Amino acid sequence: MTTTAPTAPTGGAAPTGTPPSTTPRGRGPFRKKDTAGGSSGLLFVLPFLVFFGLFLIWPVAHGLWMSLTDSSLALRDTAFVGFANYAEAFGDPDVWRSLGNTVFFTLITCVPLVLLALAMALLVHSGLAGQWAWRLAFFAPYLLPVTVVTLIWAWLYQPELGFGNQLLAALGMEPVGWLSDESVAMWSIAALTVWWTIGFNFLLYLAALQSLPEALDEAAVLDGAGAWRRLWSITLPQLRHTTVLVAMLQVLASLKVFDQIYILTKGGPNGTTRPILEYVYDVGFTGYRLGYASAVSYVFFALVIVISIAQLRFFRTED
Amino acid sequence: MSSSPPAPRPRPAFTPPPPPTASVSRRGLLRYGMAGAGAALLASGPLTGCASPAASAEPSALSVWDPFQGGDGMLMDDMIKAVSTGRDAFTVDRTILEWGPSYYTKLAMSAAGGRASDVAVLHLSRLAGYAPGGLLDPFDLDLLAEFGCTEADFTPAVWKRTQHQGTVYAIPLDVHPFIVFYDRDAADKAGLLDSSGELAPMGSPEALLDAGKALAKANGGAGILFGHVNDPAQTWRLFAALYAQTGSAFTLPEGGTARIDIDAANRVVTFMQQLFDGKTNPNNLDYYGSVATFIGGRGGMAMLGEWELPTLRKSGIPLGAAPFPQVFDRPAVYTDSHSFVLPHQADPDPARRREAHRYIARMLSQSLTWASAGHIPAYQPVLSRPEYGKLRPQSSYADAGEVAVLDPPNWFAGAASNFQNRMCQPLQAALLGNIPAEKAVRQMVREANTLLQQPNPVA
Repeated sequence: MTTTAPTAPTGGAAPTGTPPSTTPRGRGPFRKKDTAGGSSGLLFVLPFLVFFGLFLIWPVAHGLWMSLTDSSLALRDTAFVGFANYAEAFGDPDVWRSLGNTVFFTLITCVPLVLLALAMALLVHSGLAGQWAWRLAFFAPYLLPVTVVTLIWAWLYQPELGFGNQLLAALGMEPVGWLSDESVAMWSIAALTVWWTIGFNFLLYLAALQSLPEALDEAAVLDGAGAWRRLWSITLPQLRHTTVLVAMLQVLASLKVFDQIYILTKGGPNGTTRPILEYVYDVGFTGYRLGYASAVSYVFFALVIVISIAQLRFFRTED
Repeated sequence: MSSSPPAPRPRPAFTPPPPPTASVSRRGLLRYGMAGAGAALLASGPLTGCASPAASAEPSALSVWDPFQGGDGMLMDDMIKAVSTGRDAFTVDRTILEWGPSYYTKLAMSAAGGRASDVAVLHLSRLAGYAPGGLLDPFDLDLLAEFGCTEADFTPAVWKRTQHQGTVYAIPLDVHPFIVFYDRDAADKAGLLDSSGELAPMGSPEALLDAGKALAKANGGAGILFGHVNDPAQTWRLFAALYAQTGSAFTLPEGGTARIDIDAANRVVTFMQQLFDGKTNPNNLDYYGSVATFIGGRGGMAMLGEWELPTLRKSGIPLGAAPFPQVFDRPAVYTDSHSFVLPHQADPDPARRREAHRYIARMLSQSLTWASAGHIPAYQPVLSRPEYGKLRPQSSYADAGEVAVLDPPNWFAGAASNFQNRMCQPLQAALLGNIPAEKAVRQMVREANTLLQQPNPVA
């Protein structure tokens, strides 16, 4: 019962704290000058705006325009084709297949990348001996470039000489086609990705854990709450904002998957790991059809926006 | 470019505020200063970002692009060094680009922009994606003849692929076939060598199957090694070689559908499945895995491109090589060819063009150096030199160029293309036993037809 006590003062303080900030905005005389200074403010952000426009707004707009043309990497003449590229994209089974692969990868990586990271952070935070070693071990893979990571795992996944199958053989089990079996390959890539990138989420969680006020926990201990009870009712609720952040960043990062798959399997076996971004790359840069590739990437862009909005809504209603 | 918005002489950040009477206000000064800085940034960005090869430090230097890294790259360096000394030496500005699909992205872009290098290397199998779209400029055969290089210097099988509508767009430097390497000791023990110590002809699918078993028995490991898992070319190379041996044609007519002999294709894929059964000959190796297994002495034979010769030779195993064995009706070897091309320049300088022709002719005469890495010189006068005959095991497969089979010509086919990658997907699935041969062939035809339906982006 007493656990509710600490929240009451803060809840009560909020309304009293807000009025002062709104009422004494007695800067009426200066207001005119403020707006006049707006143009110099604009000047200060101009360098940023130039680059923002040049490297974000312009490419986005130009890409949208390209998606409406038959633009080719190898030709100068382009013709406006309306929505023909979009029509083709919606009827292209490879678009749907690769989009499905990307979504599947996102699902099977996001869950472990959030939950495992949390579990690892809790373990390290719980005061395990040799904390620095754990921290280093969990975070170090994140510092490796993608080429190194894929090189290491390509050998681990080697069918004949690799550690994976050697281990299975030692246990008397059948070898697995880690990257060659159509039903296994994406899971192998997901495992590699979890190992590689979990350090970042782990670090976010660990930082959040270390900044939690200890008062609540101590109060709970005094009240006789056990470790699980405290974890469930005190620590986890306080980590909610971090979880929202980690989950959102992770979904976006997983949807962007390209490098490790491109290096490791080139989308194989039989297209089962090809993500949508590799399809865009294949069609646009290897196949020279920039217009069509742009259309496919805008279809994907729309999907990312829909997912982001859905996620925002979901977490907002939770709040 | 930097001259357009005049940057004021005093540096704005350190200037005291000008007196109110000054014509330029402080704010104006800032504005100009920033605009000037921005313009300077903009000007320096694009210029350093894509300096055109022609505008290199030495204006007379011949700019050349190639995708040769590693051992090949060093040999190319040696050849360039050789033509860069003595009388009429060339000054060459070489750019090495990473090999892979991205090489052809860059080459196409540079040619489409009309500011390409003077000379570039192109796989002959990619010609159909380059010549029709105007990405290459034609060769002047009279000029080449003046420097000692004519049609008669190349095998007909290769020469006929250098043209588009009767015009020559490529001069082959080499032929680089997909061949077999074998362990001489194992092959000897298995009784596969002829009286001269070379690999004896096979002649039938059964003979190759038996050879695999005999090799496996002889060395106690695997018989024939073939790495293909997630490789975007290997299964296609094997299929194309065997399919061509059946005497059937595989063509990709523009605007039509793929023409392929389904029965012959089924026969070939079924044979591939029998050969790589996962017992005698492993069916689940990837490219480097197959090389490593062969180097480790745990396989009697490996089906690889001849370009792996330097790697294999370093391993110290008693190495033999032979053209891809004929198992069906006629000899055929899947191959490709590194060729010199003149990527399109919007405004070529005739003198430089002449130099480019002379350079290519001189480089061909250097191709004995090139042969040391395993490539077969396309230039026949080098091939007939006694020094080449002494190169072992290169001379064992020198005939491969005469029965060369390249990809069916189409804009989307060729080395490092989506076509090869797409053909490999069903073939790999068939070799791994995931789908039957007939289904793999059906998928190949479907993939080819999908590509044929796409609008041609280079014409």
